[in-house]
Amino acid sequence: MIRTYTLLFAVLFAISCTNNKEGGIPEQIKEKESLTLYTHRHYDSDKLIFKKFEEKTGIKINVVKASADELIQKMETEGNQSPADLLLTVDAGRLVRAKNKDLLQSSSSDILNTTIPTHLKDSSNYWFGLTKRARVIVYNKNTVKPSDLTDYEDLVNDRWNNKILIRSSNNIYNQSLMASIIANNGEDSARKWAKGIVNNFARTPKGNDRDQVKAILANEGDLAIINTYYLGKLINSKDSNEVAAGNAVGIFFPNQENRGTHINVSGIGVAKSSKNKENAIKFIEFLISKDIQEIFAKANYEYPVNKDAQSSELLKSWGEFKEDNLSLTRLGELNKKAVILFDEVKWP
Amino acid sequence: MFLKIKHFKRDFNKWTVLIVAVSLFLAIPFFSILISLFRGNGEMWEHITTYFLFDYIKNSIILIFGTGLLTFTIGTSSAWIISRYTFRYKKIIEWLLFMPLAIPSYIVAYTYVGLIGNGGTFIEILRDFGFSVIRVEMMNIYGLIWVLSFSLYPYVYAGTRTIFQSYPSQLKHTASLLGVSNKKYFFSVALPLASPAIIGGLFLVFMEVLNDYGAAKYYGVSTFTTGIFRTWTALEDLQSSIYLSAILVILVFILVLIVKWLRGRRSYNLTQTNTNQKSTDNRVKISGLKKILYLGILLIPILFGFILPLIQLVIWGIQTFDSMFNNDLIILGLESLSLGLSTALLVVFLACLLIYLSKWNYLKRFNIFSKIATLGYVIPGAIIGVGIIRTSKSLTDLFSFQFDFEIGHLVYNSILVLIYAYLFRFIAVAYNSIEGNTLKIGNNLSESSYLLGYGKIKTFFKIDFPLLRSALLSSFILVLIDVMKELPLTLILKPYNLSTLAVRAYEYAEDERVAEAALPALLLIFLIGTMITLLNYKLRENKQ
Repeated sequence: MIRTYTLLFAVLFAISCTNNKEGGIPEQIKEKESLTLYTHRHYDSDKLIFKKFEEKTGIKINVVKASADELIQKMETEGNQSPADLLLTVDAGRLVRAKNKDLLQSSSSDILNTTIPTHLKDSSNYWFGLTKRARVIVYNKNTVKPSDLTDYEDLVNDRWNNKILIRSSNNIYNQSLMASIIANNGEDSARKWAKGIVNNFARTPKGNDRDQVKAILANEGDLAIINTYYLGKLINSKDSNEVAAGNAVGIFFPNQENRGTHINVSGIGVAKSSKNKENAIKFIEFLISKDIQEIFAKANYEYPVNKDAQSSELLKSWGEFKEDNLSLTRLGELNKKAVILFDEVKWP
Repeated sequence: MFLKIKHFKRDFNKWTVLIVAVSLFLAIPFFSILISLFRGNGEMWEHITTYFLFDYIKNSIILIFGTGLLTFTIGTSSAWIISRYTFRYKKIIEWLLFMPLAIPSYIVAYTYVGLIGNGGTFIEILRDFGFSVIRVEMMNIYGLIWVLSFSLYPYVYAGTRTIFQSYPSQLKHTASLLGVSNKKYFFSVALPLASPAIIGGLFLVFMEVLNDYGAAKYYGVSTFTTGIFRTWTALEDLQSSIYLSAILVILVFILVLIVKWLRGRRSYNLTQTNTNQKSTDNRVKISGLKKILYLGILLIPILFGFILPLIQLVIWGIQTFDSMFNNDLIILGLESLSLGLSTALLVVFLACLLIYLSKWNYLKRFNIFSKIATLGYVIPGAIIGVGIIRTSKSLTDLFSFQFDFEIGHLVYNSILVLIYAYLFRFIAVAYNSIEGNTLKIGNNLSESSYLLGYGKIKTFFKIDFPLLRSALLSSFILVLIDVMKELPLTLILKPYNLSTLAVRAYEYAEDERVAEAALPALLLIFLIGTMITLLNYKLRENKQ
């Protein structure tokens, strides 16, 4: 009896093993023309873009989606046997971290060098910004005059007591904003700034960026700090309440008289483990080409890094703004410091 | 010493070797994490203890108490009414009481904000009718307790109901003869007798609460799990986050010890009773005010745990139907389902194997290994993921250095690794419920079978397997549900050409497109709902 079962299991095991081999190795050998992309982005428009790339070049994009931190951890442990060719994240900080952990390789081409502005990429070409997003102030149109707004630094003013809505410090966009303030004003004044914001909280931070705007509509606060594309998504939402929330607020780009509004990028770098560097660069070039940049802008309300690309009508209606030209590498370097300061001032 | 060696020689058999081997194989991630603890805590540890460790512990304890109290009340009261009384539509209600399990709790958290958050569906409807409403703020620790309790109480309800239904009718008769009131019967007889099941259910609830990430993060509540992620990602200190997990595991052990202590004090036994006289036949009919009251008690958890979230999901689903409904979604559903089915089958098989190996092994001290193998349920999923990736790395390194053979592509993008991770994570779910049932069956039957000349494996298939069928089935379905809802492990370990409904829903929700998350979530609920229905039906069939 035992023998029958052992035999049965042995056979089943053998079958599963052979199956695995058929599905696993030869596929990799057959399909030489493919790139494995580790990405934190999960927009439908991205899928469309990858498909376009495949149609154009015949190179298939295999997508692994997870949070950037998990992907970095994954690449780190996988080492030089990692299947990753490219790492795509939604902020520069994580790319800086990946570079510091020796997970990326330098790669350059004329197109990349000329198209992407210097402050939006790594100085030694380990990573490149693809799309920009600004972290702006939105205000209740009924209760706040835009002329009262000036800089991020002014938000600690007593006038905004119990008025400011912002999400948790767990969020990377807040960490980046804080890092930019540390870089521009120094650690001590950044700590004071964060403390001032905490004093002016309209409520304990919770929810996501969209929830902050909805809270303005519900009069829980007057100002919210959010990323630009979320406003675009609210205004174009299918949910009537979200549209109402999006239309109830005005958008304000802070620090126009001095360094400019804080921006971050969604960016990409070639993985050190990549054995397809040429194709990987080809893919990045494709992503910053004019047409593709316009898809990013239209579908996701992000600002293109390619000057030739048109931004969407909505983004144009918000007007031009001066952006903080701080090298994004600094954001990555100061990210941890930012979180430590958040903890010190008890910003949840 | 000599005696011990003699015993060892006498009792040592092939099962001892097997149980150690199987357990060690399963517990590899545990040891990998354990070893990394010896590397000392990370550089940010002092920062963590200064600024937020206290808050983590405080919030987690409040959550445990709050959800414990609520799930206990809801679970036992509904189980009691279901098993004691009979009324119309009872079968449907019995089934609906399970259904909150079908919705991942972070999705429930989002739907509550969609319903009664700022500009929520419910608030707007009331406003349209001219009511000015005082909104209840859900996004805080109390809202979190509410959401988690109403989505997790089925764990308490399920086990407790089974026990309540197994009470022989003499028990109640005797109590009545002795002049014990209904109320007193419930509190001093029925409830204490059910305590193992209740405590077992509460334990599962606590594990889910401590491991919850999505809901707590969205509601802005700092718990251990959110802290583990913050330490890992924002403070860039994986080592300290492993330390935090270790503290979490210690907390869980304290919980387990309390559970053991409670169980030990109250070891009542009903096994002597004649099973033919179960109370199923003489359930009390209720009517009038009492009926309304009792039905109300049953409908509350169904309403808050299932119907309301479902309504909001359907509204979102309709809004996004055109853009979200396509073949991909169906394929995704099939992928989730087949992944869940094959994993659940393996989990149940391995759980049985562990239980019976530890039964057949006479060196009982070695059975501790099987307990280690079932620790996966208390370790946060993401940390298990790290443990597994580290192990895979050692394995691939070994191969590439020793044999100059690269197996990286086999390990890193392989569904086998993902399934292995699920095995370690969820084997406890099956193990605990099957073990409870094997204890009930006892050894007498199988020992008679050995005396009659049957071997161990044949005895298992002839005697134990038929008796365990419903336990096996229910643990199979529970594991299936868990696998289909699983998030962190799946995110970290899944191969690129595979995805699950839970992952898809999470991606949209994380991207602040909750409405788009509704359709994958609804399909997930539908599939899990079908499984629960099947379970309910089979269990009833087996009983008859």
